[in-house]
Amino acid sequence: MEEVDKILIHALKQVGMDVSEDIDGVKQFSSELIVEAVVACIRVIDPGLGSALPSSLPPGMSARFRVGMSLAQACQEIGYKGEIGYQTFLYSSEPEIRSLLMFLVEKLPRESAEASDQPTGKSVVLQRAITAAIKAQLTIPWLPPKCRLPLNCETQSQGAMNSFHVQPLSLPHCTKDPSKKHTKDMKDYQRDILPPVTSQISSHASMVSSILEQHTAELSAAQEWDNEWNSQGLLSRLTPQEYRSRKLTRLYKRIEDQLRSAALPSSDSAFGVSGATSDLSELLQAFKGSVPPGHILTKGTHFTHTQKFTFTQVGNSALGAKLMGTGHQSGGDVQLGQQEELSSLQQQFQQLCSEVDQLAVLDELKQRELGNTEREEKIQVKKKTIDLLPDAENSLLKLQALVEASTKRVVNLASQWEKHRAPLIDEFRRLKEICSSKDLESSKKLSEIKSLHGKIRVSTEEAKKKEDAYKQLVTELENLPQDVSRSAYTQRILEIVSNIKKQKEEITKILSDTKGLQKEINNLTGKLDRTFAVTDELVFKDAKKDESVRKSYKYLAALHENCNQLIQTIEDTGTILREIRDLEEQIETENGNKTVANLERILEDYKAIRQENSALTAKVREG
Amino acid sequence: VWNMAAPETQLMLSVGLIEKDVNGDTLWVWCYPSVGGELRRILLSKCCLTQDGRDFHTFVFGQFSRTWYYITTVEVQEPTALNKVTHFSVVITAKDFNPEKYAALSRILCRMYVKHGSPVKMMEAYITVLTKGICHSDENGSFLIKDYDVRKAYLAGSVKDVVSQFGMETIILYTALMLKKRIIVHHPRIEALLEFTRILPALVWHRKDWSILHPYVHPTDAELEDLKKCPGYIAGFVDPDVSNRTDLFDVFVNLPDSTITVSQSAKEAMTMGKLHKDIGQLIVQSAEDAERSDSQVIKDISVKTKEILANLVALADECEDSKITLEGLKQHHFPPVTENFLFHLAAAEQLLRI
Repeated sequence: MEEVDKILIHALKQVGMDVSEDIDGVKQFSSELIVEAVVACIRVIDPGLGSALPSSLPPGMSARFRVGMSLAQACQEIGYKGEIGYQTFLYSSEPEIRSLLMFLVEKLPRESAEASDQPTGKSVVLQRAITAAIKAQLTIPWLPPKCRLPLNCETQSQGAMNSFHVQPLSLPHCTKDPSKKHTKDMKDYQRDILPPVTSQISSHASMVSSILEQHTAELSAAQEWDNEWNSQGLLSRLTPQEYRSRKLTRLYKRIEDQLRSAALPSSDSAFGVSGATSDLSELLQAFKGSVPPGHILTKGTHFTHTQKFTFTQVGNSALGAKLMGTGHQSGGDVQLGQQEELSSLQQQFQQLCSEVDQLAVLDELKQRELGNTEREEKIQVKKKTIDLLPDAENSLLKLQALVEASTKRVVNLASQWEKHRAPLIDEFRRLKEICSSKDLESSKKLSEIKSLHGKIRVSTEEAKKKEDAYKQLVTELENLPQDVSRSAYTQRILEIVSNIKKQKEEITKILSDTKGLQKEINNLTGKLDRTFAVTDELVFKDAKKDESVRKSYKYLAALHENCNQLIQTIEDTGTILREIRDLEEQIETENGNKTVANLERILEDYKAIRQENSALTAKVREG
Repeated sequence: VWNMAAPETQLMLSVGLIEKDVNGDTLWVWCYPSVGGELRRILLSKCCLTQDGRDFHTFVFGQFSRTWYYITTVEVQEPTALNKVTHFSVVITAKDFNPEKYAALSRILCRMYVKHGSPVKMMEAYITVLTKGICHSDENGSFLIKDYDVRKAYLAGSVKDVVSQFGMETIILYTALMLKKRIIVHHPRIEALLEFTRILPALVWHRKDWSILHPYVHPTDAELEDLKKCPGYIAGFVDPDVSNRTDLFDVFVNLPDSTITVSQSAKEAMTMGKLHKDIGQLIVQSAEDAERSDSQVIKDISVKTKEILANLVALADECEDSKITLEGLKQHHFPPVTENFLFHLAAAEQLLRI
């Protein structure tokens, strides 16, 4: 009960009530305090209701009575289901008051901090502060410089603004290549001679911009490298250093090609000077508009095409100028021109005719040459045959033998070559198979790596989120009021729960014990009855004959009767003890109601009201 | 007893072997005696094994740089002495046009290769054919070169089919061939292309010149260069985009659509008149006659051609040094179309002097 009271008092203090320190139980609440507490709670729960209620008990009895009634009414309107009336406030009893206060405190609206739902990481807090400051500054009306308050001078004048000048900085901790170790000289320089960043800047105004620029450059470079490596670097299956060096050589080559192709036409151009500036801009354009680093630049770039185009335009314009010049000639010259045309065309015709002749001749020549070579070969063969003709038979045999020998030789060579060739081809095929299987494996591994990268990214994001949440919760925890130790309460609650569990166990044990006992009792009772019945019969049979047996029968019956009575008495005693316990409990609860004191108070108040009534009637009669 | 082979065996130039293995590579693995680098590249491109495995062509032939090549492709079936080979092609290059002969020979060589798994046996058979003109095979008796006469190769196609497909338009082909123009034929299937183009030179039987036939050409630089060396040719393309290359043809034949187009530059030379109508009718009539065989149809056409040529020669004899000139032609007052035709024909037959 103490903890409950503590919580109630604490809640009441939060509502705004002033509870003195030595009151630590609802028992010690006086009526005034009770009324104050209830009114305060109602005011918070429902301001409309609460405004109509006075915040303390008035002295007059009837007034107090009325206040009590209205408070009860208000509580019922809020939703209190228990029995409530003016007596709850004027003649309070502890349990009633406790339950009422608990109900009211539950009904108090929860503190909902708007900010607690939003993430309150440090950066977000900073941003919100910045937003708030800017908002505040914007809401301040603009005043002419002479009228401004000194507070606003700084923010409203232009002098505070600086243009974004950037100066290069030299920082010792370059993360470009973490594996590269700095030489000792470098380290010494960085440690002893290199000035700090703040003094590297010539003008103080550009310090922030330089640092921001440096940081952004490094960050974006690192991000870009990450992206590139994850997308293309892994595909190329090279180590990072190899990939970088290859990229470097490729870029150099590209720059070379671009400059070379830029240099060549511009040297031929007649408009060298004016063309030079446009060349440069076009050259840079070509660099910008080129393909992504994965491909090698082809020669025919946008730049060279535009160059060619400008050339033809120049050519056309020159030609146009010439034509313009000729168009001014008079009509008499037209005939002359036509005649000239005619003669030139005739010349061309003559040329073509001779060319056709030539071609025809060449054609024939080619044909004849081909025929000639064929015939020459035939002649050779026939010559040789003729030489051999005199000794036809022998030559024939010799020739046949020669042919057979050469055939055999060639076949022999072929089989030897085959001995070399077959293993080589097999080796080639085997290696190709291994290569393709390795390709498969490596592409599988690549996809695995990619998926791992994805997982890594997801996990880092999650970790970041969790860290942010953790930081936010820590700050929230710090911001929470320290006076109520929640953990102590939770501890107690858990203790109580375990206690209850243990008690429940004990109760179940006792119950089972009781059951067992009851069973035993039943057993024994049954046994007893049966035994007695049997004995009774047995003895009664013999009792008719024998005197002593009759006596023993009488004793048996008496014994049974007395034992029965004993058992009965024991049972009655037990029942009566239980009744006593119940009654004692009831007495205790009734005592807590302090009915006697209340009754006395009621009587006194009744007397007071009667007095007031009589006083009022007297006043009325007088006035 | 030896059958000393006629000089025709010296027409065979080389035999080569292309294999496709389980890794998907197509390699030129063996050849005898030797094949130059460029020709090897061309042959690999013609072999259907390099063409993404879309179609399987058992037998294709063509001409490049005055060399005829014949490619027979076989799929390897189990059981076999060849391991890791899924398909292979035997390539025979020769100077003469005779698809049937070389198809039969390469079939025998293929069977040998599959059986023995080594090209040595194949080479032995090849040399036997080279030296003796005969080759024994395990099945179907022997292969004798003299069984494959070149005339049979020339006449193996069907003129009747050509005429039935194009009707009167066959005269365009006839005119183009007579005037030694450039004809390009297109069909997506190579077998249809080969079958159609091989009979076209028979329309000008008096020349018996099949060197103008290039039945299987890809529009690569090397092959087009080689094609341009001939003044007039019949070229077969599987690639449909060739219809845009108007610089390559005077007449374009689209076989699937059965259309013949004459390019702008050649229209003037190819104008046809009454003479052509007569010839065309003759061709169509002769082909439609069910009684006459293909060779008879060709004979009819060649008779008519000889007539025209005889007339032309007669005209030429009238002029000095038996060469026709334009003025001489004009004196005969032929109708302008006929005059034009005779003029160009004389140029083609080298009876013209300007």
